[in-house]
Amino acid sequence: MPGRIGGRNIDMKTIDIKKDFKPCAQTYGPVLAALGKENPDIFVVEADLMKASGTRPFMEAYPDRHINVGVAEQNLVGLAAGLAAMDRIPFACTMANFISQRACDQVTISVAFNKFNVKLVGCYAGLSQEKNGATHISIMDIAIMRCLPNMKVVVPSDHAELADVLEFAVKDTGPLYIRMPRVLPEKLFDDSYKFNLNRGFQVKDGIDITLISNGISSSVAVNAIGELKKEGIDAGLIHLPVVKPADESIILAAAAKTGALITIEDHSIYGGLGGLVSEITSKNRSAIVARIGLEDKFGLTANLDFQLDYFGISVENILKVAKEVLNKKQD
Amino acid sequence: MEDKITELQNIAKNLRINTFKAITNAGGGHYGGSLSAIEIIAVLYFDIMRTDPANPCDDRRDRLVLSKGHAGPVLYTALAMRGYFPLSDLKDLDKPLSNFPKHVDRLKLKGIDASTGALGQGLSIACGMAISLKQQKKDNFVYVVMGDGELNSGQVWEAAMTASKYGLDNIIAIVDRNELQIDGATDDIMPLEPLKDKWASFGWAVFKADGHDVRSLHSAITESKKVTGKPAIIIAKTVKGCGISFMEGKWQWHSGAIDENQFRQCLAELGDET
Repeated sequence: MPGRIGGRNIDMKTIDIKKDFKPCAQTYGPVLAALGKENPDIFVVEADLMKASGTRPFMEAYPDRHINVGVAEQNLVGLAAGLAAMDRIPFACTMANFISQRACDQVTISVAFNKFNVKLVGCYAGLSQEKNGATHISIMDIAIMRCLPNMKVVVPSDHAELADVLEFAVKDTGPLYIRMPRVLPEKLFDDSYKFNLNRGFQVKDGIDITLISNGISSSVAVNAIGELKKEGIDAGLIHLPVVKPADESIILAAAAKTGALITIEDHSIYGGLGGLVSEITSKNRSAIVARIGLEDKFGLTANLDFQLDYFGISVENILKVAKEVLNKKQD
Repeated sequence: MEDKITELQNIAKNLRINTFKAITNAGGGHYGGSLSAIEIIAVLYFDIMRTDPANPCDDRRDRLVLSKGHAGPVLYTALAMRGYFPLSDLKDLDKPLSNFPKHVDRLKLKGIDASTGALGQGLSIACGMAISLKQQKKDNFVYVVMGDGELNSGQVWEAAMTASKYGLDNIIAIVDRNELQIDGATDDIMPLEPLKDKWASFGWAVFKADGHDVRSLHSAITESKKVTGKPAIIIAKTVKGCGISFMEGKWQWHSGAIDENQFRQCLAELGDET
């Protein structure tokens, strides 16, 4: 019986990186405005990137809970910490590279060390910065955030999941980082999937190998499943939106079952999803792990589809890597 | 009022002695910047701020962000003298796993409103607190004590612009202007003057005070609280290591340790009668 993704036969399912992707601002802005209506403690904090995050509707509806500090990311994060100190619920958003790099010490001390209830949102994350290039493409935000004590790290893959994560964020307490690309598909998975902080999602079972992905890469992984099948490879797929606290059991179960894992991420393969899965499987050396992503490279000035291909986050490269891994597994 | 001033002078004297003892008991530490901030903290905690040691998390309290987190020993000692916890607890200063780490940690001790230590971050936190209070139309004040060395940091000026933009007249910042930082005189390392003009040009009401004169501090803070529509800052002229002759005005005493003979000399100079 074929696995099913998005309610359809996997052979039918393909995501068009260009046509099926919509700006995340179309969800982030309206969902926060709706949440802000219900909860008078929600604040939006911006650093001159309302255009990217889409929070103008929130500003218009709740001007006294919408703060814009200008191009000042360190102050953005510190101010959000101060709001959280007063038991408010701030969503502080700027580009993923700036929130994790420029404001790293403020995220570390003012938020994580203080254990303040700040929602940090890294927008235009990863390769979705496209032609803005290396200065703007975050390749280490997940690695940085993962290292911080008290910090949770979530990497949604479609608009429906992003909305779930925002709703979750309001109820959750403590520092949380949400990695939000510029664009995502509206709905990658069917209604049986619901975001859960403590559980990865087994999209499809497989015998030969397991793909593990999140963010934009989950779209590519979904596309790869059918192509792998055509090549006679029965691949499983795990969508792992929560990098921390990670669902170790789903990784270890996949490692035990297939003995071969491929991580796929638009991030450095050091310290992100690939790092995480390697760390987990090293506990019992239970699987060969291949990591697809950026290896010691900065992003490029190029469209998303070009960059994904260039860095091997593509169906073709997944096929190639899968065959290599299967060969190793047989050795 | 005169009685109050005399009382504050006595409190400051004891705060200085107790802070000095706590640091020395810990094997040394940030004498310089702790001793320069004594009167500032004394006036805040024993005169100006709305706080309740019996209910340290009371929502109605004024907040303090000790942005110069290395002056933790002064704040700990002031809290102890106000009755938040016994003075004898200060023996744990800097001890592993104690509630009194070198830099203040809000998760360890009720009465600390923000964990600090990485310089330059406090004013931003204060802005967030003040915005929240204003949005809820509450009348609490947010006090921020900053070192002058940390004014080198760009984040301070990002926050200064923000406090001005949002008219945060519920923020009172106090600069412990001891004119020294770790590597030398602030004038040599990174000149700050004209400091009053800098803050004024950022839209702040600026006051000056003698940071070791409780009357001067009381008066400056009282005036600052009357300012409306803009944040206020008090540049409090202080002496690093104030009260101990061989430390006063010496950048070398930003932090350090002393021996037994020096300890006895210091206690005599501070007027310790115990």
